[in-house]
Amino acid sequence: MSIGRVSLVVVLLLGGHVAAAEHAIVLVADADSPINDISPLDVRKAYLGISTVVDGHRVRAVRRKDNGRLNQVFLQSVVAMSRRTYDRRLLSLVLKFGTPRPTVADGTDELLAILARSPTSISYMWKSEAETNPQLKIIRVLWQDH
Amino acid sequence: MTNSRNKPPWRYWRPVTLARCVLLACSASSHLVLADAQQDMLVFVSLEGSKTFSASDPATEGFKDRATADFLYSYKGDQFRFLAEYVLSDAESELERLKAGWDIDARTTLWFGRFHSISNYWTSEYHHGKYMQTSISRPGLEEWEDESGPMPSHITGLWLEHELSHNDESVINLGLTLGLAPVFSGQELVPFAILDPESGHDLAISARVVYRPDVLSTNQVGMAMSHSDISVLSGSSPSLASLNDIRQLTLNAFSNWQWQEWRLIANLVYFHLDLHYDNGAVRDNFVLGYLQGEYEVSDKWTVFGRTEIATGEDDSLYLQLLPAVVAHRTLLGVRRDFARSHSLTLEVSKSKSKGLGLSHDSFNDLRIQWSAVFP
Repeated sequence: MSIGRVSLVVVLLLGGHVAAAEHAIVLVADADSPINDISPLDVRKAYLGISTVVDGHRVRAVRRKDNGRLNQVFLQSVVAMSRRTYDRRLLSLVLKFGTPRPTVADGTDELLAILARSPTSISYMWKSEAETNPQLKIIRVLWQDH
Repeated sequence: MTNSRNKPPWRYWRPVTLARCVLLACSASSHLVLADAQQDMLVFVSLEGSKTFSASDPATEGFKDRATADFLYSYKGDQFRFLAEYVLSDAESELERLKAGWDIDARTTLWFGRFHSISNYWTSEYHHGKYMQTSISRPGLEEWEDESGPMPSHITGLWLEHELSHNDESVINLGLTLGLAPVFSGQELVPFAILDPESGHDLAISARVVYRPDVLSTNQVGMAMSHSDISVLSGSSPSLASLNDIRQLTLNAFSNWQWQEWRLIANLVYFHLDLHYDNGAVRDNFVLGYLQGEYEVSDKWTVFGRTEIATGEDDSLYLQLLPAVVAHRTLLGVRRDFARSHSLTLEVSKSKSKGLGLSHDSFNDLRIQWSAVFP
C-alpha cells in the first residue's frame, strides 16, 4: 500500500473520529467581510500563497496554530498536501518570492481579532464553533463527514 | 585595479550612480509601513563536514567543516514589498539580498536592489536555504561567485516580474533584470557589494520565461538568457595582466518536474564568451549541465543522485581563469527528514575540476550535513 493511500486511510479514520464530535470544517470570515463566496480552488490558492482576488478583493489566508485534528484534516482534504509538503511550499514562498507565509492565529480570540482587522481575510474552523459566534460569517463548508 | 585602457569614463560613474539610487530607494521604501501588512522571518542553519580523498593533487585532501546561518526577512504591504537576506558563516559574512518591490498590479512586480540572478536556476530556486535543497552540494555551474562559480550569481539593479495566468490554471512567468555585473578578480567573479560599493562594475541583463502547467504545482520548464559585461581587475593575477574585459552570454534551458515520488531537476547552459586582450579578442564556447534525480522512499527518506556534464571545457580560456570550477561530477546521497524541519544528509561524489594544467584535477568527497529552518 502506498504512502498516499495510508495517509488517506489515516485521514479518513481521523475524519470519522472528528466527525462524531464536530461534523464539518467551514471557511469563515468576519461578519462584515465583503467576501461572500470563494471557490475551493481559490481557497487552495490562497493557502498556498498564490495571489487570489475575489470580487475585486485580494484574499488573505489565515492559518491556525497547531490544533492537530483541525489542521490535519484541513491540509489533507482542502489543501491536498501532507504537512511536510505544505510547510516546504510556504518556506519556498519566503525564500523565492519574498512573500511572507500566511499569518498564523493562535486560538479563537486571536483569529477573531485578525479577521475583524482585515475583512478580506479568511480562515477555517469546526462548524460547531463557527455557528455559535456572531462575529463570524460562514462562507462555505470545506469538509464534511458523510 | 580595473583596466581602464579601453573604457570611457562614463562607464564607471554610471553604475555607481545607479547603485546609489538603488540604495536610496531601498532605504525609502523600507520605511513605508502600510495597514494590513504581513512580515516573516526565517533562519536557515546548517552544519556541514566534508572529507576530500583520492585527489590527483594530494594538497587538496583533508577535512573541512562549515557552520552557516542564513537570516531572511520579508515584508508585504498592499503594494510594497521588501526582502533582506544575510548569510553568516565561519567562511563569510555577507548581505546576500536586499531588495524592495512595488506591485504594479496583482501580476506584475518591479524590484530594485541586490538579488540573485534569474539565469541561475538552482540559485533562484534554493538561494541560501540549504534545508530546501535535497543534496548538500550545489552543481558546479551554479556555485556562488566566491566558490568558483562561472556565472554571475548576484545582480544589483532592477527586476521586472510578470505572470500570465490562463483559464486552465497554467501560468507563464516572465522576468527581466538590468543591473551591475560582477568584476573578475584573481580566480573568481566578485559581485557588487551594497555595503561596500566600488566602481568598475559594468552592466548585466537577463531574461527568463518559465512555464508551469499547473499553478498549484511546482513543476516547471523554462529558458533564460543573460549577457554580462565583466570588467577585469588586471592587477589581481598574473594570468589577467593583458585581459581587459570579458563579455559573457549564456543561454540555458531548465526543468524541475515531479511524478509521484520521483523528481528530476535539469539545467543545461551554453556559454559564449568574448575575452578582450590587449592584442585582440578571443572567442570561447562550452556547455555545462546537470541532471539530478530524487526518489522519496517515504515521508522521511529520500535518495538522490546527480551527474554533471561538460563539453568544450577542455579548450576554454575562460575556465582556465577559474581552475576550481567542477565540470564533471557524479554523486549519490541519502536524506533523512526528522522533527518538523530538520534533516540529515549524507553524500558521496566523484568530481573533476578544470585544474591549472592541461589535465583535470580529480577528487572524491564524502559529505555529511545537518540542516534546519526556524521557526
